[in-house]
Amino acid sequence: MLWYKSWLETRWRFLIGMALLVCSAGGTVLTYPQVMKLMPLVPSVDVSGELGRRIKEAIDLSREYRGYIWQQCFRQNLVQMWTVFAVLLGTGGLLSRSSGGSPLYTLSLPVSRTRVLGIRAATGLVELFALALVPSLVIPLLSPAVSASYSFADALVHALCLFIAGTAFFSVAFVLSTFFHDLWRPLLLALAVAALFALYEQVFHDTAQGLFTLMTGEKYFRTGNVPWAGLIISAAASTAMIYGASLNISHQDF
Amino acid sequence: MPDPLTIETTDLRKQYGPVEALRGLTLRVPRGSIFGFLGRNGSGKTTTIKILLGMARATAGDARVFGLPTDGDASGVEIRRRTGFVSEDKDLYDYMTAAEIIRFTAAFYPRWRADLERRYAHTFELPLDARIKTLSRGMRTKLALLLALSRGADLLVLDEPTSGLDPAAAEEVLQALVTHVAEGDTTVFFSSHQIAEVEQIADRVAIIDRGRTVVDAALDDMREHYRRIQLVFERDAPEPSFRAPGVERVRRAGRVLTILSSAGAEPILDEARALGPVSVDVVPVTLKDIFLASVAMED
Repeated sequence: MLWYKSWLETRWRFLIGMALLVCSAGGTVLTYPQVMKLMPLVPSVDVSGELGRRIKEAIDLSREYRGYIWQQCFRQNLVQMWTVFAVLLGTGGLLSRSSGGSPLYTLSLPVSRTRVLGIRAATGLVELFALALVPSLVIPLLSPAVSASYSFADALVHALCLFIAGTAFFSVAFVLSTFFHDLWRPLLLALAVAALFALYEQVFHDTAQGLFTLMTGEKYFRTGNVPWAGLIISAAASTAMIYGASLNISHQDF
Repeated sequence: MPDPLTIETTDLRKQYGPVEALRGLTLRVPRGSIFGFLGRNGSGKTTTIKILLGMARATAGDARVFGLPTDGDASGVEIRRRTGFVSEDKDLYDYMTAAEIIRFTAAFYPRWRADLERRYAHTFELPLDARIKTLSRGMRTKLALLLALSRGADLLVLDEPTSGLDPAAAEEVLQALVTHVAEGDTTVFFSSHQIAEVEQIADRVAIIDRGRTVVDAALDDMREHYRRIQLVFERDAPEPSFRAPGVERVRRAGRVLTILSSAGAEPILDEARALGPVSVDVVPVTLKDIFLASVAMED
């Protein structure tokens, strides 16, 4: 029944996230013919500097369907929106009253705090995985509607990269939620952490080590190799943070 | 042989930063008793309850429920499996309906009493399909009580169970509690500010003040042994030092000397008369008198 409770507490965040991400992925696929029609109108870009390089790269990628999907979905929209929902699903654990939950009632039940927290984390992670997988699968499913095709394997690998690497943001929000009794501080702090990571990659152009680069599956897109080392490190960091949350909660007084 | 004490604490201490919430609390709650736990705001009642249920850990001392230590993970789970709890704020899940939280809670208790669940849902006229956040304070309390009573618990821990209720609703809740206890062998440990309620249903009472037990006795013994002895003098009352046992408090106010005794009046009367008062009156005291005298004594 703790699964049921966790589901009730997070279902709206999950369902809204799912609707937005599916619409975003579906919208990107369905607008591909319009983008292709506009492509000849785009003049040859010859802007110097980093911005120019990026615009040119985006246009070049969009000339081909696989590049267009990666550029629009897995590099931008899905990753950005998914990160926000990862943070949202990570907040509001055992301590929070903001989501209508009650720590004292939960703590009066004959279950350990570790189990309560573990089930809450597992529920969030299952929901996050669905938020990565379903919108990604929408792409190959809808592609025939625009006379294009997209590999299910590519969609699965990108969903996997998004989920495993991005779980770090869920874990940051989750561990912060065991320190603060309200919903807002963990939420804002975790979003700030995500923004700092994004800023770091933008400013230092660190595409080799960046968490967002890992989430986009850029290495797989460009070389066909799954970035296992990065994913394993990210997963280990997430596991450590969830374990830390469990240790923190087990020593707290309510 | 089963432990005759359901709750036992010895020299229990709890420190929150610089604040000492409990300063050596010792309690003995016999099995099958209705134990009233009285104290002023901030005296340590809720902290004690949280320690008993494993929601907070004691800084020092020992707390046991059913003979099990309250600070162990496994023993804490076992204690909570056998305990029904109603918190002061009647904490429940606002996003669930009454029926949902009943179904949710029942799943954790193998001895869940579906018959009691139906009975109390009917008696309390609970709107089962209503979301908890829409329930009135009274309905919320009744739902919390249904959830505690239907667990088939050996111990009910109730933190201010009637707070915020009108007298009729409070009476309904108390009657349900008494009827429930009369039908089984449940121990009830309840904290309250409402001394009249404690007097109405408790058979044993502890009064705590500033984290310490100042009175722990059976209510009948209290009624039998506590006496107020009032001496009136022609001039200002003297400042005596009584040798007799049971002198809990002595108060001088002008010509009047008031003595609160926990060992009857007889042992004190000889000493009192030797002071030469113009009149001596012995009157029984209420629990409220004892409470006020006990907590004032600590000031």
